[in-house]
Formats: sequence, structure tokens, C-alpha cells
Amino acid sequence: MRVKVGIPRGMFYHDYYLLWKRFFDNLEVEVVMSPKTNRDILNTGVQACVDEACLPVKVFHGHVDYLKDKVDYIFIPKFISLYRGEYCCPKHLGLPDMVRHSIDGLPQIIDTEVNLRKSNRRLKKAVLETGRYFTNNPRKILKAFDEAYDKYKQYVRLMWQGVIPIDLVGFYDSQHLKTNENKNSYKKRILLLGHSYNVYDEYINMNLANKLKNRNIKVITTEMIDEEIARYYALKLPKRMFWTHGQRIVGGAFSLIEKKAIDGVIYLSAFGCGLDSVLMDLVERKAKENQIPYTLLTIDEHTGEAGLNTRIEAFIDMLEWRDGDETNFPTHG
Amino acid sequence: MAKYYMGIDVGSVSTNIVLMDDNNNIHYKKYLRTQGKPIEVLKKGIGEIEDKFDKLEVLGVGVTGSGRYLANIIVGADIVKNEITAHAVAGLNVIPDVRTIIEIGGQDSKIILIRDKIVTDFAMNTVCAAGTGSFLDRQAIRLGVDISDFGKLALQSKNSVRIAGRCAVFAESDMIHKQQLGHKQSDIAKGLCEALVRNYLNNVGKGKEILPPVLFQGGVAANIGIRQAFKEALGMEVHVPENYDVMGAIGAAILAKEEVKKTGRTNFKGTSLHKMDYQVNGFECNGCSNLCEVIEIKEDGKLLARYGDKCGKWSNIINDRDFKLA
Repeated sequence: MRVKVGIPRGMFYHDYYLLWKRFFDNLEVEVVMSPKTNRDILNTGVQACVDEACLPVKVFHGHVDYLKDKVDYIFIPKFISLYRGEYCCPKHLGLPDMVRHSIDGLPQIIDTEVNLRKSNRRLKKAVLETGRYFTNNPRKILKAFDEAYDKYKQYVRLMWQGVIPIDLVGFYDSQHLKTNENKNSYKKRILLLGHSYNVYDEYINMNLANKLKNRNIKVITTEMIDEEIARYYALKLPKRMFWTHGQRIVGGAFSLIEKKAIDGVIYLSAFGCGLDSVLMDLVERKAKENQIPYTLLTIDEHTGEAGLNTRIEAFIDMLEWRDGDETNFPTHG
Repeated sequence: MAKYYMGIDVGSVSTNIVLMDDNNNIHYKKYLRTQGKPIEVLKKGIGEIEDKFDKLEVLGVGVTGSGRYLANIIVGADIVKNEITAHAVAGLNVIPDVRTIIEIGGQDSKIILIRDKIVTDFAMNTVCAAGTGSFLDRQAIRLGVDISDFGKLALQSKNSVRIAGRCAVFAESDMIHKQQLGHKQSDIAKGLCEALVRNYLNNVGKGKEILPPVLFQGGVAANIGIRQAFKEALGMEVHVPENYDVMGAIGAAILAKEEVKKTGRTNFKGTSLHKMDYQVNGFECNGCSNLCEVIEIKEDGKLLARYGDKCGKWSNIINDRDFKLA
């Protein structure tokens, strides 16, 4: 029987799933994923996790709990740094430790440390460390990773060309997968900003992307912006942004706002997110300078959708009103 | 025969109904406490209208508020609009060159910025309801003061007490400590008004350019203590419209008027709908691990609507059936 590795469908899953899956496939390891977030997962997560954590971390705990009896290992890498001189969110730094502390009866956790703060060479070390759980052949491990990384890079480049990220594909019809789509078929283009684990988890964000799509709105996410471009625009900050995801979110937003390539910005943030508290303010100021409408949606454990729907509707109404679309609104005072 | 447009705002705390003529004059308004029973309250309100007007033609109906979808199912509305748009439309009707609308309701607080008669920016409170009407309600109970006397009490104070306003729970403990120190009740009431206004301006109003004329609407505008605190904090006149408590409903009525002018007909089911029997049933769907809470509404035994499921398994059935019936 093949060894089974569980990948919880939370946090960086949304960024690196393709890479991880391919890597483990190449090593002939069976990958078991937890299902999409559902109420059971949310409930177990909230119960297991420490109270102060943000919603996506709680949800992640739920995914781990789902997997714990079904696999031999659970893959929870410890992401410390993804870029020279930068850091990840402290919650990523401590994720495997938090999980271990809060959930009993876990199988072995593969908590490879990914720390590229000083040098990219550490990546090779992390890859080898992960692969050693399954084979003693370092060449095989590196080959498995290189092939997976190539595939992953292809996917990332496709997103930069405007292909909707795979986690969003379910929301879109197949025609939206084409890169050379007709821009005029959309009423508005909205940049949906936020961390991947909030933007792509349709349960915790109450299907936000789909709701926008149903209103004939083209959704652009952070992952669809070329990282080099985002980094270039992030340099315009008076101080260097030392969070990698901050670079992407703020830089990506700045690029589209300055080019006026979007009609509005929706920032989706989990209640209590420390990074977002800084990032959303930077984006809001830039949006205001350029007269691009901006709104903030905060998510927590709420499952009532009325509040979110009202905010989306009002935001889109405003975008249309600003167009001077007088057929929809009274022209008199 | 009186011909009116009806506007309905089903909010978390109050349900408001207005009747408006073609010139946007309000002929009837009703402010009812929702008390978590939106359907009952809606029926009651419409029943009262039927009793009051023997001959009434409703030309169109607009619904707004967090219960707008439910209200639409019950009454058959011509337009379903969010509260921001409804409040902006109503505010523009009162002061055509209004530039800022402050709206504080039971669970929501909003700021709407209008420039050249167009909504250019808005903000709402986030997931937390601190700094809204519910906050004042709670603290009035804690002080043992009726909420309708709260504002008057605050005005008597010459020396307000500073109270933490970020969170209703923080405010409560801070207030108790101040009470124990022996501060006057009126000073504490004024302190609470200032705390609410400070909280509003720092959260909802953060970074927003508040320019006159300023309209203050929503249920909390009844509180003269809060009005005064806004005036002092902003250093400008704060106008409270005559129908401040039903502005959402007025906006909905105006939007309905526009809509009906376009479509030429109304979907309204008639005022007799209050005699119908509505049953609401909730159940948990076990079809998958989402365990959605599905709600179904029946009108005299006939299924009217079903919603709450993520996959559409339940809500789609009814659409199919309606299609066949039609």
C-alpha cells in the first residue's frame, strides 16, 4: 500500500497546491486532500484552534482534523520566508506548532522549514528534507521537485496572462478561461484583493467571486498580477514592505490602480488580520488618490449573508451611479 | 381614490412602511419594531394600512433593508434595493445638494458621501455592531433610563465623562466603573453619546471627507444627545430630516416609482396579503457536509420560496415548479 500524505485545504494550499501535489505524485506518494471547507470543518476548526487566531487559521485546523485519521503524514510546511529579506505572516511561521498544540492524535507532521530570507539555496534543503520521508535517493527527490516546479511556474505564468486561478475556475464558465476574452462583455472590472486563503475559499467568503460574476463583473485577483510588476510598484512605498504577501497585494493593487485598469477595489479581509490592517490602509489611500472606489469586506465566523450582499450590491450600484447611468436612478434630487 | 407608492424597509430593529404620492410627499408612515419576526410585523403593518385607507391603489412597491429579500417574497415588490442606495436617494430628496449622509440604525451604521448628486463613496461598520443603536439601547438599560429620554438626559450635562467607545463590552465595564465613582447619570449619558460619535467617526468615518450639508438619518437620529455630539465633533450644522426614521423606506418608494414608470405595472400582491397565512420552516439539509440551513416559506400551504442552500438543490426545485405552473 502506498504511503498517504494529507494536504489540508487551507492557508498556502491555494497558492502551492499544484506544486505540492505534483511533487508527491512524482515521488509515488498518494496525496489525500481535505474537502472544500464546509460547516463541519469550520466548527471543528473553531473549537480546536486558539481563540485569538484569524478565521483562515481556524479553518486550517478543521482541515487538519479531518485528515488526521486518514493519512500517514500531514504536510504543513513552516513558511518563514519566501523571498530575500522578507517574511511571511507570523501565523505561517507558527502554523505546524499551533496545529500540534491544539489537535490531539495527529499522525506525523511534515513541517519542513522554508526560509529563503538569506538565500534561495535553502529551498533545496527544504525539498530534500521533505522528500526524505519517502525515499533516500536525493536525485529522485530533486528531479521530482524540478518537474513539479516547472509545471507550477507554467500555471503561474498563465495566471499572469489573465487566466483565472484554478481555485476560481468553478465560479467561471469555460469561456472565461481563454486569455483573449472580449473585455466589453463585462460591465465592470473589480480587483478582489486579499490573501489567497480568503479569496479562494468560497465557504468562508460566502461565494464572493461568484456573486460578482453573476453581476457580470470581471474579477481580478492578486495572483493574476505579474509578481515582477507588483514588486516594481511596491517600491513606490516610502518604506520597503517586508511581508512577501504585502508586496504582492499592495504592489499589485498599486499597478492596476495607477494604470486605471479597474473600476473598483474590494478588499477581503479576515477579522483581526494584522497584515491586512496595514495593507488595506495603503491600498485605500492609493485608490482614493486615483479616485477609484474602494470598499472593505470583513469576514469572520458569520454565516448570514445579508451583510455581505448589501455591501456588494451597494458597491456595484455606486460604480454604476458614478457612470452617470441615469436610466437606473432618479435624475432629480 | 388615493394612489400611492409604497416603500418598505425591513431592518434588524425596525420595519418601516411609507406611502408616498407622485410628488414624493409622504402621506403615511409606520415605524414598527421588527423584534425578530419580520413576516408578522410586515403583515401587521400592511393590515393597518388596509384598515386606515378604504380606497387605496398601490402603484408600486420598493423594498430595502436586511430583510428585503424576505419582504419581496411576501409582498411582491417592483424593486429590491440595498440600504445604501435607498438612503442616498431619500437623502437627495430632502436636501438636493447634500454631500454627507450619516445613517445609524439598529445594527448598521453607514456614511455615504455624495458629490454632485452622485454617491462617490460609502462605508459601513464591519462585522461588529458597536457604535450603533443596539449599543445605546443596551447602555440605556444599564443606566435604567428609557431610550427615548436618553438624549434629553445627555443634554442636561455640563461636564461629560469620557467612556471607552470601541466596543460595547468595553464601554459597559468603563461605564460601571464611572458609575461607581459617583459620576452623575446625565454626565455618563453625555459621555456615551460622545463615545458613540467618536467611534463612528474613527471607524465608519475613517478617512472620509465630511463636507456640509450633512444629513443625519436612521433611528438613532431621534436622540438629541447624539445630534448634539455630532454637531460638536464635526463643528458644522447637522440636519435631521422630518422623516429621519423611515428614510430607507422613502428611498425604496422613490426607486419603486422610477421602476414602475419604466415597466408600467406593479408586482404588488395587494393589501389583502395580510390575511394570508405564512408559515416559515427551517430545516437542515443532509445532502452533503455543508449542512445548509434551508428556509422555506409557504403562503396558505403553497410553497412561495426556499433559500439558504448553497448548491441550489432546494431553491431550484421551486423555480422549476413555478415554471411549469406558468
